Amino acid sequence: MAAQLPDMTAATLTAGAQDPLPSLVSAGRLRWQRIARALRLWVPGGILILLLFVCFVWPHIYSIPPGDSGSILAAGEPPFSPGHWLGTDPNGVDIFSMLVYGGQVSFEICLAVTAIGMIVGGVLGMTAGYFGSWVDPVLSRVFDVLIAFPALVLVLAIAEVLGPSEMHLIWALSFLSVPGFARIFRASTLVARQQPYITAARLSGTSNWKIIFKHILPNVLPGVVTFGLLFMGIIVIIEGAVDFLGLGIQIPQPSWGAMIAKGQNVLTAQPEYVLIPSIVLLIFVMSLNLLGDALRERWGVR
Amino acid sequence: MSNALLEVEDLRVAFAAGGREIRAVDGVSYTVEPGRTLAIIGESGSGKTVGCRAIMGLLPVGTVISGSARLNGTELIGLSDSQLRKHRGSDMAMVFQDPARSLNPTMQVGKQITEAIRTHRKVGKSEARDQAIELLRLVRIPAPERRFSEYPHQLSGGMRQRVVIAMALACRPKLLIADEATTALDVTTQAQIMELLLELQRDLDMALIFISHDLGLAASYADEVVVMYAGKVVEQAPAKRLFGTGGTVKMRYTRALLDAIPHLERPAHAELPVVTGRPPDPSALPVGCSFAPRCPSAADDCTAKAPALAEHAPGHRWACWHPCENGATA
Amino acid sequence: MTPDNTAPADNTGDARSDKKPLLAARDLVQEFIAREAGGARGGVVQAVSSVSFDIMPGETLGVVGETGSGKSTLARAVLQAPRPKSGSVVFRDMELTKLRGSALLSARRDMQFVWQDPFGSLDPKWQVRSIVEEPLAAHSVGTRQSRRKRAEELLDLVGLDPARYGKRHSRELSGGQAQRVAIARAVALEPSLLICDEAVSSLDVLIQAQVLNLFERLRRELNLSYLFIAHDLALVKQVSDRVAVMYLGKFCEIGPGESVYKQPLHPYTKALLDSIPSTEPGAARATATLRGEPPSPINPPSGCRFRTRCPRAADRCASEVPQPRELAPGHLVACHFPLTEPAPAAAAAASVPTSAQAQAQG
Repeated sequence: MAAQLPDMTAATLTAGAQDPLPSLVSAGRLRWQRIARALRLWVPGGILILLLFVCFVWPHIYSIPPGDSGSILAAGEPPFSPGHWLGTDPNGVDIFSMLVYGGQVSFEICLAVTAIGMIVGGVLGMTAGYFGSWVDPVLSRVFDVLIAFPALVLVLAIAEVLGPSEMHLIWALSFLSVPGFARIFRASTLVARQQPYITAARLSGTSNWKIIFKHILPNVLPGVVTFGLLFMGIIVIIEGAVDFLGLGIQIPQPSWGAMIAKGQNVLTAQPEYVLIPSIVLLIFVMSLNLLGDALRERWGVR
Repeated sequence: MSNALLEVEDLRVAFAAGGREIRAVDGVSYTVEPGRTLAIIGESGSGKTVGCRAIMGLLPVGTVISGSARLNGTELIGLSDSQLRKHRGSDMAMVFQDPARSLNPTMQVGKQITEAIRTHRKVGKSEARDQAIELLRLVRIPAPERRFSEYPHQLSGGMRQRVVIAMALACRPKLLIADEATTALDVTTQAQIMELLLELQRDLDMALIFISHDLGLAASYADEVVVMYAGKVVEQAPAKRLFGTGGTVKMRYTRALLDAIPHLERPAHAELPVVTGRPPDPSALPVGCSFAPRCPSAADDCTAKAPALAEHAPGHRWACWHPCENGATA
Repeated sequence: MTPDNTAPADNTGDARSDKKPLLAARDLVQEFIAREAGGARGGVVQAVSSVSFDIMPGETLGVVGETGSGKSTLARAVLQAPRPKSGSVVFRDMELTKLRGSALLSARRDMQFVWQDPFGSLDPKWQVRSIVEEPLAAHSVGTRQSRRKRAEELLDLVGLDPARYGKRHSRELSGGQAQRVAIARAVALEPSLLICDEAVSSLDVLIQAQVLNLFERLRRELNLSYLFIAHDLALVKQVSDRVAVMYLGKFCEIGPGESVYKQPLHPYTKALLDSIPSTEPGAARATATLRGEPPSPINPPSGCRFRTRCPRAADRCASEVPQPRELAPGHLVACHFPLTEPAPAAAAAASVPTSAQAQAQG
C-alpha cells in the first residue's frame, strides 16, 4: 500500500469530506431484538430445567410426603394447607408429591422412548436414506407398516398383552418412535446426500460408514433434535392418555393421567384435581414445543 | 435537473438483524432523465438492489428508509403501500433476476399479463386479452396467441423473462427497473433481452435503470453509469466517458473492477491485478473511505475521513482522495 | 472415426517431451431420464453425445457452453460420478470406466474436483483444517501429526493463515475463502488433474480475480492440468491453453484459445463472441446474432444440432451430422459451412431474420 502523503493543506483535507452518517435504526429496537431472541430460548428452556429439577432433585433436598399413600385424616385438604401446599386428594395423598413422582415417570418414559427412537430409528433411517438401491425400499416398507398401526390402539394392545407397567409402556411407545424418527432421519439424509460436500467426501476416499456418521449425522441432527422435542410432547400426552384409561401406570403409583382420571368425578365440586395436573402437563408440552421452535430458529433448520 | 424523471437524494436504508444495524444503503443520490438508460453497477452487498426496492416500496416491514426519491415530482419515500400501488406498474415497474420466481407456475402466462393490465385499467376480459397478445408481440415472442395459454414451465428462460417484461410494460410505465434481469440468462439470450429492452425504450419513450455486477453491460448498453460500493455511490459518469477511448475511470474501486474482469484481449495465463480482502461488513462500516482497507493506493487521509461524492469534472462525479491519474482502461 | 483431437505439443506454447495425453476421452455419451413435474417419466435427455478430447500434462483445457450444453455433465462423466453411458476415459493409462471400488478410489487420488458452490462443497459442521485433512486421512497418508501439519501447509499454499482460519467453520468464511479451502482440499493428494466446474462463477469479480490467480500459481507450482468449465468465454479463454465450445451435448469447435477467439470457425462461437458486452474502448456493442430459443436436449435437431438457430444453415445441415475437421493447426471445427467459407446460397434464401437480427446486421 503506497503511503504517499500528498501536498494538501488542512482546508483541502477537510473540504469534500463526509462524516459517517448517524444511525438510522433506533438503538432501543436493536436491544429489544436481542432480548427477545434470548427470551425465546431461555424461558421455555428455563421452565423445563425447573420442572426437571423439581421432579428429580427437589425430593432429595427436602423431604416431601409419599405420592402413593396418605393418611385418611388428611383427606381432601384444599390448596395452601399447612404441609400440603397444593392440598390432598380424597384419599389423603399429597397432590404435590403426586405431581413430582408422576412427573418422574413421565420424564423417564418420554426420554427413554425418544432415545430409543433416535438411536434405532436413526441408524435405520440414515441407512435407508444413504444407500438407496434396495435397502431403502425394504426399510421404508417396514416403517410404513409400523406407522400405519393406529398408535393408541397399538399401545393399548401391547399394554393388555404384556401387562401394564412402565417398562412395557416404553416398549409399546417405541413402536411409534422408531419409525417416526427413522422417517425423519431418512428424509434429512436424502437431502444431505445431494450436497456437494458428500460427493467431495467420497472423492476424497472416505468410506461410506464414516460419511454417514461423520458427515450426514452432524448435519441432520439439528433438524432431528427439534423434531425430537416436539415428539417428546406427543409421547407425554399419549402416556397421559394411557394412564388416564388405567392401562399404563397402575394406581397407587402416581401419574398425571391417572390424577386427571380420578378427578373427573369431582370435576364441578373440586376442579383443582383435574386442573392442576392438566396445567402442569400443558406447561410441560408447551415448553417442549417453544424450545423446539427457538432451537430451530437458532440452528437455521427449515 | 428540473426535467428529470427520477431524482434520488440522500437515500438511506437500514434494518435491524440479530440485534445489529445493517446499513444497506448509506446516502445515495442520482437522477434519471426521461428516455435515458442508467446502469447501477456494484458487487453483492453494495446496496444496488436494496436502493431500487426502496424506491418501489418493496422492502419488508421494519426496514427504515430515509431520504427522498421523486418520480415526476412526486415523493415516493414515505408513501403508504396503497398509495405506492398506484404508481407501481403504471408509472414505474420492476423486473427481477429469476423469471421462474416472478411467474406463478400454476397460471397461464397470458392470464398473468391480463391480471397486470386489469389491476390498473378498467378493461373488459376480451380487451385485456387483446392487449396481452399485443404485449407478447411487443416483446418479440413468436406465435403470441399460442403462447398466451401456455404455462411458465413450457417456456425457456429467455421467453419467461420476456413475459415478465411484458407484464411490467402492461401500463406503459415511464420508468423500468431491471434488477439483474439478465444475470440468470445465457450470454446469447442476454444480448437478445438487452436489445429488446433498448428497443422498447425507444418505442415507448421509457427510462431504463438496469442493475448489474457486469461493467461490460454498462459499457455496451448504458448512457450513464453509477458505481456503488458498500452502500454509497463512488463514481458516476456517462458511459462514453468511462469506457470510451481515452476513458477516464477515476475512483480506485472502479479501476479495480475494470482490471479484474477477464478480457478477451488478454493473453492466457496472465496474472490479474488483484485487490485483497472483501467488502466491509454493512453492520460495521469503517470510518473513512469504505474501500480504503483494500485499496492499493490508500493513504492516511483515506482512512481518516470519507471522501464525498462531488462533481470534479463536468458530468463526472467521484468520491476518492487519490483518483487514478491516466485515463487508459485495461 | 473421430479424428485425433490431440493438439501438437508446440500449440500449447510449451515444449513438452511427453506427448502422451494425461487424459484421453473418447466418444463419451451421457444420458438421463427427464422427469416431468410430478415424477412421471419424460423423454431421455441426451446431455453428452459422443464427445472426445485430450488433455496433455500441464495443459488447461477450457470448456465453454451455455445452459443445456452438457458441460457440467461432461465433467462428471470424466469423473465417473455417475459413469457415462458409453465411451472411454483413459487417465494415466487406466481405463476409468472399467474400474470399480478401491481401484477407482486410487485412480481418483490423482483427479480432483472443485464445485461452483463453495459453501455446498464444504461440510458446514466441520472445521476448515479437518476438511483439508480429510483426503489424507481417507488414504491413510502418514501419521495424525504429519497430516495435521500438511493441512496447515496446504492452507498456507492457498493464502489462508492456518492459525486464523484452521479452526473456523465454513459459515464464518467469505465465498472466496471457502473456495480456497475447497481448492486446498482438492490439491491435498497432489493430483495431476483438477476439474473445475464453474469454480469462480458464484464469486464477486474482485474475489474471482484472486481465486483465478491462485489457480495460476498452483498450476505453475504443482504442474497441474485443468479441465476448466464455465459459461463465460472471456474467463475460459484467459485461463486456458485450449478452448472447446460446446452446444447441446457436442463440441462445435476446439482449438488454441487465441485461435478460437481471433479466428472463430463455427457460427456458434462467433455468436457467443458477438454477444459478450466488452468494456474495451471502441469495442462494438454486443449484438444478438442468434435467433430463436435453444432446442430441447430431449429431442435435439437432426444433423447439426445448431442448425435451428444458425444463420448459415442449409439442407445438408439437417441431413448430415458434421464431423470435426482440422482447419487450422490444432484447431478443429464440426460444421459443414465454417466461417472460413462463404455462406451457402441456400442459407441466404432460407433464413428468416428476426427484426433484432436485421437491426444487428443493418
